[in-house]
Order: sequence, then structure tokens, then C-alpha cells
Amino acid sequence: MNKELQPEHVRLTLKEVGAAYSSRIVIAQLSLSLESGDILVVSGANGSGKSTLLRLLCGLQRLHSGEILYEYNGVSYTPNQASHLIGWVSPDLALYRELTALENLRFFAQVRGLRVQDSQLSALLADVGLGGRDHDYVSSYSTGMQQRLRYAYALLHQPAVLLLDEPTVTLDERGSDTVARIIERQRARGIVVIATNDPRELAWGDYVLTLGAA
Amino acid sequence: MTPQAAPNELPLRSLLLAAWAVFMKDLRSELRSRYAINAILLFAVSTAVAVSLGVGFIGLRREGDWINIQSSLLWIALLFAALNGLARSFVQEEETRTGLALRLAAPSHAIYLGKLCFNLALLAILDLVTCLFFMMFIRLQIANPSLFIALLVMGSVALACTTTILAAIIAKASLKSALFAVLSFPLLVPLLVIAIQGTALAIEGATWSEGFSYLQSLIGFAVAMFVASLLLFRFVWES
Amino acid sequence: MRERLASVAKLFIGIWLGGVVVAMFLLVPQYEGLGNAGRIIIMHVPTAWVCVLAFTISAIYSALYLWKNKPEFDNRALAAAENGFLFTILATVTGMIFSQVVWGIFWNWDPRQTSIFVLLLIYAALFALRSAIEDLERRRRLSAVYSLFAFVTVPFLIFIAPRMAESTLHPNCAFIEGSECEGIELAVGKIGLLGDRKVQLLGLSQDGDVVTAEVKVSEPGLTSEAILHPTWSASEGHQIVSPEFPNLRYRLTIMSADMASQSAKLNIMAPGTGILDNRITLYTFLAGIFGFTALFIWMFRVRSKLLDIQEDLQQREGAFA
Repeated sequence: MNKELQPEHVRLTLKEVGAAYSSRIVIAQLSLSLESGDILVVSGANGSGKSTLLRLLCGLQRLHSGEILYEYNGVSYTPNQASHLIGWVSPDLALYRELTALENLRFFAQVRGLRVQDSQLSALLADVGLGGRDHDYVSSYSTGMQQRLRYAYALLHQPAVLLLDEPTVTLDERGSDTVARIIERQRARGIVVIATNDPRELAWGDYVLTLGAA
Repeated sequence: MTPQAAPNELPLRSLLLAAWAVFMKDLRSELRSRYAINAILLFAVSTAVAVSLGVGFIGLRREGDWINIQSSLLWIALLFAALNGLARSFVQEEETRTGLALRLAAPSHAIYLGKLCFNLALLAILDLVTCLFFMMFIRLQIANPSLFIALLVMGSVALACTTTILAAIIAKASLKSALFAVLSFPLLVPLLVIAIQGTALAIEGATWSEGFSYLQSLIGFAVAMFVASLLLFRFVWES
Repeated sequence: MRERLASVAKLFIGIWLGGVVVAMFLLVPQYEGLGNAGRIIIMHVPTAWVCVLAFTISAIYSALYLWKNKPEFDNRALAAAENGFLFTILATVTGMIFSQVVWGIFWNWDPRQTSIFVLLLIYAALFALRSAIEDLERRRRLSAVYSLFAFVTVPFLIFIAPRMAESTLHPNCAFIEGSECEGIELAVGKIGLLGDRKVQLLGLSQDGDVVTAEVKVSEPGLTSEAILHPTWSASEGHQIVSPEFPNLRYRLTIMSADMASQSAKLNIMAPGTGILDNRITLYTFLAGIFGFTALFIWMFRVRSKLLDIQEDLQQREGAFA
């Protein structure tokens, strides 16, 4: 596991991670290590800390104890510094309803400091199955379309690590296929962590971590 | 598309570009919903009309205390309108839950600067409209317009520097709008004292050298608030 | 051993403050012009000092909390704020009583009154903020940010805004030994400000050794005006008669006069100027400052301990749930 990392390779290490949710301990003493090409599925009952773990990984929630480190191109980052490495998809993620899909993506590309053409953004939207709906307001999108847009948001900066919380919730059959394709493609680029209880999605992972079992 | 550089390596230029993007995004949202602008303009108009109905053209009264009253009324109108509109951009991020997407994508300083600029733009419109209405409805006459404008602009900058971070704080609490006024007012007292007295001097026709110390104090206040906000904003935004 | 020491310290603070109160009423001599009301200074100034101390301590612990992220620091900041709030109320009330006796009104927006009023508002805002946030960690971080941010505005409140208001009348010149209000140099016919009172030197006349000034004084915001005639001895170089301002215990006095240039330096003489010249008063006053500071520190420690224990209990409950 500790071989020298190739350039563009990413490693994610958790050391004795603990998390509390309003003074209730939900995750304790979790240690693991993932490298490029790994897909991890996190499962567990409601309230077992699946979403919390993903939020810890993208720095949205603070650690109670332990350490999370990303290593990319030989540089170490804490989750808070690693936002350029991470794409996060979650039901909690909302985009601007008063803007169009394209305006949303253009905005997020600008704040991330990316130089992108509108045509590339349109291609990204088509890739997640929103082709031709670029100029529609997000408020007019159905819940399934909003979920697709979240993928466009998360993939915008070509992250090395993709964190998916309930990846296919509200998606139809074709949407699920799109997600499966995205996950397989991400394997070549880096790491995927999926939080789910869906039996079909459990099969996507190389490893399955079940939380709350103790 | 090229993979993004690490945020801590972003030079100042891209920070400012990101801030500009946040500002333009807020401006676009605002132009579509017109929530904040309607709230503050309605407030400005109501105050000017209410004062006019109550006491008539007090701008024509040029002796001693009347000038202070005009200046106080002007700043009261600005303050209350501002307290109605300036929290909007942060509260909206929380209410529509877009804060998380923004937090993951943008450096926190860029968000602060963008929102600050947006609030400054709102205040610029508010200043303009309020002064016009005061001139129309209570016949406010300003003897030293350049000093008046300088004090008004600097006062507004100081107001925005103080309230923007407070808006970020109350966006994460309950009872948002009431709390905004409660948190803001005590911190705005020094600003109001300086601005009201300085503006009264400008209305009365004091020279630049007489009004300069007021301007200096406002600049000092704005700089102190701005620096403190930059240092503290991260703790608010990431909680 | 530590508990022993703590209870001894507690006893000591009690006896010390008891002594201060006894001295305040029995030992401190009455001051001319203030009567028994002057005794409240022994309470007022130390409590006001504790306000400043508490606010500073609260800000320091807030900064430490943001830096180190340890809950104890937030408990300390909260304890300092809560006790500071109590002392602020105490200082306000004692000050109002003093103000009523000396100035004839409970409240007159003197700069120091303004700052203590704003301090009360800041505390109220801080407590309102804390009660409006459900999540514990978020509550701590946001209230720490607010108290630090509020702390930054204080210098403007104390130093800048009052100077703008041009009224520096508060006991500034009265209580601190050796300090003096500067006074104002006026030529005949000129108008100037002493504190927030407008004074105009109408005339200056000399009769032998005695210089008499004719001064028109007017109250800010009031229409009442009065002509006062303070006098000054040219040979000895000090004031003879210093008349009181109308309805106030302040006196108008001549510090120096120059007949050749027809100008005089006028000043306000506050009651209580030189009150600490008396040895016993000075010592009681210092003992009061020490006693109240010790009382505050004790209360602060008890409260932080209590908050720590409360926190511990909550955490244990959480672990078992």
C-alpha cells in the first residue's frame, strides 16, 4: 500500500477518525487507506454516519478526533484544503434555482479559477443527460434533473476523488446507467466513495464498509 | 478543461476574479428576484414621505439644531433600510441551501469580498435614492455637496464593512431579521455618531478642513472592520 | 490543599469587601460639594473597571477558542461575559445615582454613559445570538466571532466618537490624581466649548488685584443661558470666586487672565476634583478596586467551572445515549 505515488495519483488516508453529531458519537476509531482506482461503498442503517463520513471527507464537518489526509502529486492536503481535489454529490447539495444550468456551471467554474468555454460546459451537461436544457432555469428542473445537475457540478473541475451520497436517489433507469458510467470512468482518474444501502450500488464497490455494526 | 490548482496556491488575481464572479452572481440573482432592492427602496421612500408628512419641508430650516435633525433623519433612513436589505445575500444562500455548493467551490475570502461588493452596490443605490427623496420631500439643502458625498460614501463603506460579516452570522441562526438589527446596532453606534455629526456639518456648509477629521475617523472605522472581517469570516462561513 | 486555598481566598475576598464597604461609609470623609453621594465613587469606579476587564477577558478567550477550538475556552469567554454583564449593570446604576446627584439628571449621553450603554447592548446581542443557535459548536464559533468583532469597535466608541462629540466632561479630570481638564483660552467676544457647554467671554475687567470675567454660558440643546462672573487674583495667580453653572454642581473658574491681550483661560471645576488627595479616601478607593477585581475573578472561576461540569455531564449523556 505504501508504494511511491505516481504523478496524478491520489491517496486518501483516515487515521482513527472519530465524529460527533451534537455531542453524540457516530463514528469512532475508523482507519483506512484508499488509492487511485479504488471504489469504496459505505453502507449502514439510517443514522449510522454514512453521510457524516462523506461530509468529513470533503471538510464540511469537523473531525472530533483523528486525521484525514489527501496526498496528490506528492503534496498532502487536509479536507479543508482539498476542495479542488473533491467532487461531492449529495441530496443536501443545492444549486442556484434562479440561474440557468449553464449559468450555474459557469459561475462555479469562475470561482474555482477554471478557464472553460461554454461549449465544454454544454458537453458536460449533455454527458450527465441534460443536453439541450442548458438555458433552462434550475427552478424548472424536476428532482431527477437536479440530481443530474449535481453530477455536472461535481465533475466540473475533474476531481481526483468523487464522493457520492445516495448516488441514484430520484434517478430513473437511464440515470442510474449514467451514474454507473461516471463511476467506472472515475476509477481511471482516482477514487470513488459511495454512501448507499441500495443492493445494486453495493455491487459497484471493490470494498464495502458497513457502519454502525458494532 | 485543466484540473484546478490548489486554493492555497491561488494568487491574489484569481481570488479577486472569484470575488467578482460571486458579486456578478448575486447581482444577477438580485436582478431576477429584486427582493433586497425592493425592500430597501420601499423603506427609503416610506421614511422620506413619513418625515415630510409629519414635519413638512424641514430642509428649509437652516438654524442650529434643525440641521442636526435633518442629518439624523437621513442616517436613520439609511440605517433601517440597510438593516432590511443587507442580510439578504447571505440569508438566501442558507435558505436555498446553496451555501454548501459555494463553500466547496470558492475560497472564503472571495465569498466575503463578493458579498461585500454586492452590499456596497445596494448601498450606493440606496444612498442615491434616499438623498433624492430627502431633497424632494423635505427640501434638504446641502451647502457643501462634495464633503457631503464623501462622508456619505465613506459612511456607507463603513456600514457595509460592519454588517456584511454580521449578515453571515445571522444567516446561520434562527430569528434572522430581528437578530440582524440587534447585533448590528451596538457596533454601529460610533459610526452613526461620527457620520451624523459630520453630515450635519456638510449640510451646514463647513469647509473640507473642518470635516476632514470626520472623514478620517470613518475611514479608520471602515478599515478596522474590514480587516477584522477578513480575519474572522472563515470561522463564520465554515461553521 | 487546593480546595483549602480556594475557601481561604473566598473568605478573604468577603472580609476584604466588607472592610471596603465599612470604610466607604465610616472612614472616608465627606467631600465638599458632593456630600454623602460622593461615597458611591468607591463602588462605581471599581465596578466600571471590572466591566472593561471582563469584556477584554471574554474577547481573549473567544480568540483562544477560535484558535485552539477547545470548549473550555468558550466556557471561560461565556463566564466572563455573564459576570461582566452583572458588573456593567452595577456600574450603570451606581453611575446613574451619582449623575442624578451631581448633574441633576440620571442620564445625559455623556461619552462614558454612551459607551457603557453600548456595552450593555453588545452583551444583550451576544446572549440573544447564543440563544438563537441550536447547534452547540456553531453557537460557540459564531458568538466568539461576534465578541471579537465587537471588541474591535470599542476603541472607536471610547476614543473617537466622544472626541467628535467634543464633550469630555465625565469625571476624567476629577478622579485621576494630578490630571486636569485642559480648559480653553478665549479672547473677549469669542465663543468656545467647555465640555459640551458653550461659553462666551463677554468682557474682562480689573479692579485692583481682582480680575472679573463676564461669561455667558449655555446648555447644549437647551435654550437656557446665564451670565456668570468668575474672579481671579492677578497677584497670586489663582481663582477667587468660581460660580456654579445653573442647576449643576460644576463651577466655572478662571485659570489665568491677561488684561493686555484681553483674554482669559477658562475651565470647568468638577466637584470631586482632588477627592483622592485625601489619604484615607485614596486607600479605600484602591482597596475597592482590588476587592472588586478579586470578586470578579472568583465569580468568573466559579462560573467557568460550573459550565465545564455541565458540558461534561452532557457529553456523558451523549455517549450513553
